[in-house]
Amino acid sequence: MKLKLDPRTKLFMIFVVSAVVMMSATTPFLLAVRIIMTIVPVVLLIIEKHFASAIRFLALYVIALVLTFRLISEESTGFLMAVLVGYCGIVVQFIPALITAWYVIRTTKIGDFVSAMEKMHVPDGIIISLAVVMRFFPTIKEEYMSISDAMKMRGIEMGGGNVAKMVEYRMIPLLFSCVNIGDELSAAAITRGLGGKVRRTSADILKMGLVDYLLVFIFSVAMIIFMVFKYVI
Amino acid sequence: MDNEKLKAKDFITIGIFTAIWFVVEFACGMLGYIHPYIVAAYVILLPLAGAVPMMLFYTKVEKFGMLTIMSVLIAIIMFVTGMGYLGAPLIILAGLVADLIAKNGGYKSFATTVLSYSVFCLWICANYFPVIVTAESYRHSLIDGGFSTEYADSLFSVINPKTIAVLFVLCFVFGIIGAFIGKAVVKKHFEKAGIV
Repeated sequence: MKLKLDPRTKLFMIFVVSAVVMMSATTPFLLAVRIIMTIVPVVLLIIEKHFASAIRFLALYVIALVLTFRLISEESTGFLMAVLVGYCGIVVQFIPALITAWYVIRTTKIGDFVSAMEKMHVPDGIIISLAVVMRFFPTIKEEYMSISDAMKMRGIEMGGGNVAKMVEYRMIPLLFSCVNIGDELSAAAITRGLGGKVRRTSADILKMGLVDYLLVFIFSVAMIIFMVFKYVI
Repeated sequence: MDNEKLKAKDFITIGIFTAIWFVVEFACGMLGYIHPYIVAAYVILLPLAGAVPMMLFYTKVEKFGMLTIMSVLIAIIMFVTGMGYLGAPLIILAGLVADLIAKNGGYKSFATTVLSYSVFCLWICANYFPVIVTAESYRHSLIDGGFSTEYADSLFSVINPKTIAVLFVLCFVFGIIGAFIGKAVVKKHFEKAGIV
C-alpha cells in the first residue's frame, strides 16, 4: 500500500510537535504522550520505506532516553558527564521535532508542498523561498562533502591549525557553488513558469483522505491532552 | 528601483542564503551544548561567522522586502526546530528595520549595509527570550529535560534580564566588526572572481 499524506497534514504535524517540544514533559504520563507522538513519524518513515533513517532515529532516541533516565538519578558532575547529559537531554527534547521535519522533507515533493501552501493562501514570496530552503539543505550537504573530499586530497582540512583558515577554506567554496547552483535553479524555475502572472496548476490534486483526518485528530488530541495535563491539572 | 516588485529569482536567492545562514547557525549552535557560556557567546560567534554569506547576500539585495522575508523565514525555521515563538516578533522586527536602513542607502552604500547587518544580527538575541521571559519554568524544563543543574545555573548566571542589554550591545558591536571582515572576504574572493 502506498500511503500518501496531504502536505497540510504534515505541516500540521510539524506545528503540533514543535509546540509540544517546547513544553517539557514533567510527569511520566506526559512523557508517554510525547513518546507516542515521536513514534508516529517513525512509523510513517517505515511505511514510506525509509528504513535506514527510521532505525537511526529510533536508536538515537531510545539510547538518549535510557541514558537520561539512568544518569539523571545519580549526581552528575564533571565535565564529560555534563556534556553527555546535556547531549542526551537535547536529543530527548528536540529529536521529535527533528524526526517529524526529516519525515516531511524526505517524503514531500516540492510541487505538492507549494500547491498545499498556495491552498492555504500563504504569500507567494514566502512559499518560493521556503521551498528553496527545503530543497537546499541536501544540496549544501552534498557540496560540503565534495569540498571536504577535495581538502582531504590536498591535506589541508585542518587549515594549518588556523581556525579562521579552517572556516575560510570551507565557507568560500561552499558559497561559490551555492551561488552558482542558485543561478541555475532560478533559470530552471523561471523556464517552468515560476513567477508568471498566470495562476499555476498542479499535476497532483491534493485531497485530504481518511488517514489525513485520522492523523490530524490524533495529533490535536495529543496536544490538548498534553496542555491540559501540564497547565490545568 | 525601489518600487520594483520582487521576482522569482529574488525569492530563490533569499531561500538559498537563508539555508546557508541556518547551516552556519546550526553548526555554531551545536557548540552551545558543551558549555552554557558558549550559548551566551552566540552574540559574538554568529555575527562573525554569518558575516561572509550575509555580505554576499547584501550584494544581491536591490529591492525592499528581501531582508524582511528572510527574517520571516528564520522565525519559521526557529519555530519548527523548537526554539519557540516568543522571539518571532523580535526576529521579524530586526529584519524589517535592517531592511529600512539598507533601503536608505539604496542597498549600495557600505555604511548603511554595515549598520543594517548589525541590526539584523540582533535577531540572535531572540533565542534568549525563552530564557528571560519564562525564566523559572524554563529552568525547570531544562532540568527535567535532562540538563544538569550545573548547566542550568551557569546558563542563568550569564543570561538574565540584567545581562540582556549587554548581550544586545555585544551583538551589535560584533555585527559591525563582522560586517567589515565579511566585506573584506567578499572583496578578496568574490569580487576578484567576478561573481558579484
